[in-house]
Amino acid sequence: MDKNLKHKSNRVNSGIHFMLGNYAVVEGALAVGCNYFAGYPITPANEISELMSKRLPEVGGIFVQGEDELFSIYSIIGASLAGAKVMTATASAGFNYMQEGIGYASAVEAPCVIVDVQRCRGENFATQADVMQMRWGASGDYESIVLAPSTAQELFDFTILAFNLAEEFRNPVIVMSETTIALMRERVKIPEKESIEIYKRMYTSLTPEEYLPFKAKNNSPPEFAPIGEGYHNLYTLNYHNEDGTIDWDAQGYKKLYQRITGKIRENKDKICKTELCFLDDADVAIIAYGSEVRPALDAIEMARNDGIKIGMLKLITVWPIHENLIKDIAKNVGRIFAVEMNIGKYAREIERICLPFCPVSHITKNEGIIHTKEEIYKAIKEDLS
Amino acid sequence: MKPLSVRISGFGGQGIILTAIVLGTASVKKGNLYAVQTQSYGSEARGGECQSELIISDKLINSPTTKYKDILICLFQSALDKYLSTLKKTGILIVDPKLVTEIPSIDANIYKVPATETAIKIGNRIAANMVILGFLQKLIKVVSEDNLREIISSMVPKKFIDINLKAFNAGVSFAKDLDITKEDIE
Amino acid sequence: MKEKINPLRKYIRNGKLPHFFCPGCGCGQILSYFLRAVDNLQLDFKKIVTIGGVGCTARIPIYLNTDSLHGVHGRTLAWATGIKLYRPDLKVVIFAGDGDLVSIGGNHFLHATRRNLDVTVIMVNNFNFAMTGGQVAPTTLFNSVTMTTPYGSKENTLDVCKLAVCAGATYVSRWSTAKPIQTIKAIKKALQHKGFSLIEILSQCPTNFGRYALKTSDTEEVLKWIENKSILKTKAKKLSEQELKDRFVLGEFIHKKRPVFQGTTFLKEEDN
Repeated sequence: MDKNLKHKSNRVNSGIHFMLGNYAVVEGALAVGCNYFAGYPITPANEISELMSKRLPEVGGIFVQGEDELFSIYSIIGASLAGAKVMTATASAGFNYMQEGIGYASAVEAPCVIVDVQRCRGENFATQADVMQMRWGASGDYESIVLAPSTAQELFDFTILAFNLAEEFRNPVIVMSETTIALMRERVKIPEKESIEIYKRMYTSLTPEEYLPFKAKNNSPPEFAPIGEGYHNLYTLNYHNEDGTIDWDAQGYKKLYQRITGKIRENKDKICKTELCFLDDADVAIIAYGSEVRPALDAIEMARNDGIKIGMLKLITVWPIHENLIKDIAKNVGRIFAVEMNIGKYAREIERICLPFCPVSHITKNEGIIHTKEEIYKAIKEDLS
Repeated sequence: MKPLSVRISGFGGQGIILTAIVLGTASVKKGNLYAVQTQSYGSEARGGECQSELIISDKLINSPTTKYKDILICLFQSALDKYLSTLKKTGILIVDPKLVTEIPSIDANIYKVPATETAIKIGNRIAANMVILGFLQKLIKVVSEDNLREIISSMVPKKFIDINLKAFNAGVSFAKDLDITKEDIE
Repeated sequence: MKEKINPLRKYIRNGKLPHFFCPGCGCGQILSYFLRAVDNLQLDFKKIVTIGGVGCTARIPIYLNTDSLHGVHGRTLAWATGIKLYRPDLKVVIFAGDGDLVSIGGNHFLHATRRNLDVTVIMVNNFNFAMTGGQVAPTTLFNSVTMTTPYGSKENTLDVCKLAVCAGATYVSRWSTAKPIQTIKAIKKALQHKGFSLIEILSQCPTNFGRYALKTSDTEEVLKWIENKSILKTKAKKLSEQELKDRFVLGEFIHKKRPVFQGTTFLKEEDN
């Protein structure tokens, strides 16, 4: 497609930048090869659409501002099934509308990346309140992959990772952004083009006569055949056979969804990414994700100055949850602090995993503003005294 | 270096945000430092009020905002009234004396930089923020004057480069006249 | 003796029938009209994408041996935009019921027509939500009894063709299942048209609409009802608004050229 291009500019904006978080998402998407984007205006995600509308055509892609978020999600799914690398971006209220499409994309295994810049109180206030919706917000059985960046650099890096996971597992991947980091300017280092890892979707080598669109190994996505190449694939939300046609067989239904969810569940170790911070000698540990990792790290420094041996598990992949690792940590510490910016949602998931082994304290805040290090430090101190 | 936090506050249209971005960009791209810039949004910023916070450090910056700032710049009286309590004890307060007339007695180093007046003299009051930036540079010296000039030239519209640089230079001269050194802020 | 096979069977997915439509339903006819049009034009079936949402009509693509999307209510045009913009060389045909297209999908319909998205929409109007059991639809006539309007519908009827013309569609016509020749001709025209084309096909639903609104589940009676209410555009011109109340005007309402939608891109397939 690139050959008709009238204007060309670099997909990879290599160098050191002082960059808005929302822009870092765009640069990451372009660097990894995004070529179709649809969006609908919503604050605080607008800068993503705005920069995309300028940059994407320059590198041979297509930008559309649709009539609503339903358009955004379904038009990217359409393009994805035709072979495009696709993304949309929205904020919490718009993310609600997209659930329906996320359910469809999961069922027909259409790779796509959705950025949700979480906001609350109908304004640009900071929150992590969508964390549970990101897992199972749509109806039907499916598993989500959700990545939580905490800096502008990670918004760049994890957007690339999101595309690669989406293409590899043929599943929607959600980049869980937040007002705090989306509207913040920070240092971002964009590497040279050659060092950017790009996963290429597995295309089938079979002929249309041999190919079945939903035939795959256990816990794996099927090989892909794009629309328009004579493979006459049927992509329906209804329960479908390996050949794509609608069926009503209970055992077949069970088998299909075992594979669709199994490709995520059973590949957890490959998908889940975390960072261990000061856990080697830790007596107690914080578990945090997204922007809350930042004040938590400062609070750890304050607590360690007081002689409290505290460490942190930083979750890069929020869903699927890295159950085994969390269990291991819970077995080795006296207490877990679940830090997050909402009424305490993910904390319950942490509780579910940790409670047999150690107590879990919630350090939550839902005031539309990120925790300060002092607040986290104080909560830890009070809990331990 | 110790992380340095600066809050610039005033009214929309005074170039508050741009000043923070120019300094942040220069620190990151020229000074090889880390920087985090945030600003007020939503109803917090209603009525045209505007503020931006910038943290500069040679290490990764975790918390994106600080409780108390090392430097507070106020380009409007209401901004001073609102944000004075966020200035660290013995911190630095920079005001435009034409726009900020009432300063309570506080334990801080106060600099009155006639930014608006100077900018008008140079030819456009909109460049007042660059007078402040020039002054600030001499105070904190995280990057060189030339580095900042280069970044300013790359970020403002072409036809305004000249006036912005003139304003910046004026700010630098003010600071030189006062003979301040970096030690003042530590 | 060799079994005789319908020559259009080659266009059917896996060659498999029967379809799931009720006896007497118009959807089977429309499936056949579409295939006749495609066969007549000798279109490359590999380069056709058919899309259905949810509903009886939406099931038509399931039986077609094309790349097809199906199963989400109302989003046909959003899917179509993504596919068409990324692969402008493909022909995209949407089969949608009135509920799918202008009730739940109304917003997408307005904007796809406004943009002149280069797709063909075949809207089957059977005057009710049939698959769910016969509830009132935007196309149901005033005072009709349906499963959710037991006292008669008190809402005005939406004229989808008029709406499409106003919103900016570049080919619009309305026919009925009882007029196969005109319908096939219109489908052929729409398939050859570059821009947003809409064919509304009035169709009989004896199972639900017939039973509840017309008090008959006899296919012929329902067809007669449609036929009696239908009037050709040329004849309708001479009638007053009052006389045209609850009548269905058949014919072509617009056929013109206008640049098609390509999204924001420098990839120009061809100049319009």
